[in-house]
Amino acid sequence: MGFTFAEKVLAKKSGKDKVAAGEIVTVTPDRILSHDNTAAISRIFQQLGRNKVVHPDKIVIVLDHCVPAANEKHALNHKVIREFVTEQGIKGFYDVGTGICHQVLPEKGYAFPGSLILGSDSHTTTYGAFGAFATGIGRSEAAVLWATNQLWLRIPETYRIEVEGIFPPWVSAKDLILHIIGELGADGALYKAVEFRGPTIENMSIAGRMVLCNMAVEMGAKIGYVLPDKKTSQWLGPRVKNNYEVITSDSDAAYERVIRYNVNHMPPQVACPHQVDNVKAIDKVSGTQIHQALLGTCTNGRMEDLEVAASILKGKRIASGVRLLVFPASWEVYREAWNKGILLQLAEAGAIIMNPGCGPCLGAHEGVLAPGEVCLSTANRNFRGRMGCRDAFIYLASPATVAASALKGHITDVRSL
Amino acid sequence: MKKPVVIKGKVWVLRDEKGRAIDDIDTDQIYHNAHLAITELEKMGQFALGNLPGWEDFPQKARPGDILVVGKNFGAGSSRQQAVDCFRSLRISLIIGESFGAIYQRNAINSGFPLMVCSGIISHPGKVDSRNVLEVNLSTGEVFNHTTGKKIEGGVRFSQVQMDIYQAGNLFEYGKTILP
Repeated sequence: MGFTFAEKVLAKKSGKDKVAAGEIVTVTPDRILSHDNTAAISRIFQQLGRNKVVHPDKIVIVLDHCVPAANEKHALNHKVIREFVTEQGIKGFYDVGTGICHQVLPEKGYAFPGSLILGSDSHTTTYGAFGAFATGIGRSEAAVLWATNQLWLRIPETYRIEVEGIFPPWVSAKDLILHIIGELGADGALYKAVEFRGPTIENMSIAGRMVLCNMAVEMGAKIGYVLPDKKTSQWLGPRVKNNYEVITSDSDAAYERVIRYNVNHMPPQVACPHQVDNVKAIDKVSGTQIHQALLGTCTNGRMEDLEVAASILKGKRIASGVRLLVFPASWEVYREAWNKGILLQLAEAGAIIMNPGCGPCLGAHEGVLAPGEVCLSTANRNFRGRMGCRDAFIYLASPATVAASALKGHITDVRSL
Repeated sequence: MKKPVVIKGKVWVLRDEKGRAIDDIDTDQIYHNAHLAITELEKMGQFALGNLPGWEDFPQKARPGDILVVGKNFGAGSSRQQAVDCFRSLRISLIIGESFGAIYQRNAINSGFPLMVCSGIISHPGKVDSRNVLEVNLSTGEVFNHTTGKKIEGGVRFSQVQMDIYQAGNLFEYGKTILP
């Protein structure tokens, strides 16, 4: 019997010949990620009685959650973090304006096949799109990792999700992952490693693969994973400086479940309030009036997302009474979208072009909602209160659906335009 | 000091007004994002379950030593540790439930806060209800309802690492015991 990716990579990172699902091992990560919560982590670290982090070169810190600072409290946190990284000699620090951590880490070459990335953010699973074992941890765990370079992990069992078929026009990776989460449920893959395989995934862009792995955590998954291929190595080529080893599941690996999907006739999907697994096909919710449309976040703030939205909105004007907020996922995306004229097209259609960062996704600032308001968002979470107001309603959909809906003022099937 | 492996206390069962288990309670419902700037543990308890319909008054009802009984996937969502710390702040003695969000479970284990998986515990009213007295053995997984006089099956005993961290106090103290 062969081994899964999760078993193989965690055996390597724990210095063992082989391990099996269910075992608990002590691992050494390649990267330790944190964001604005670094201020809190540094306080915990100091309480541990340590002065110096053991491996400053492994630590990556990206300010993204509330950038630029919305108030004095956030500003002070950012200041504490800047002082901390200088004092500790941490070079992997990306200040306000660089982008969302889950876009910045791959862009800067920190995420690569076979790497182990532990991040103090639940959407750390995104880097599975590059063949990494990447998962979220808590703040105390991050502080202890800074101090000891070691952490216990339980080897997850693996689900293999096989996807075949060709997406109909305007249907994309976001619709697929919403559909899967809707079917399996918010705990449908709890603590499982989820491998996305099959021809549809092979044909999918890197950005699309990132969407799948980003949202794997919304069905409880420990990690998402896509088999690295030529597309992966081409994307990583100019970015990753070190050598890496591609690790893949053996052909006779023991999967706990194999689940198959075909996307040939998949309609656009929408997750309805207040849970990500409350997913409906577009025709069940179209017509719902919206007040705000959000294009961006670590799920859908990449070039292809902005491009598809611009292709729908170019030369048109969004509905009155709708605020369309656009947050490119990173400075790199922002610059490319600027150069290609995409941001101008969106702005001319009535969008407000915001700075790279998480924006209002987690309710901190830059577009929080009022009671009774409805937001259609490309983000990954629609929990009650997520965007600051517990009496507001958040729907999740693809960039194409969000753009079409901003145009009409209500949730709209992009295929009907 | 050795920590107790048998925990006995009055329970609160997270059911809705119709008596159904509330599954998939996310960290925004447990500890809303409006309070993330708070760093002192003592101040977190007042916001526990503050965004869960029907349970907003939990901090006023709960007493130190009480046990929380939850459904499936409790603590889904963000990695925020305050969603565990708010219960530590109220001195809740144990959370026992059908399943937990993976990061939530780790946050609890690594803070040395007792959390046990017990499948089926909330499946039907009568098995365990709010204000019953439950006795839970962390090292054997035995769960006993003193109010009904019945044993509850499905408790998963602590793994070695969970027990070691619990006894050491937290992840860092545990680390000191295994690192050179």
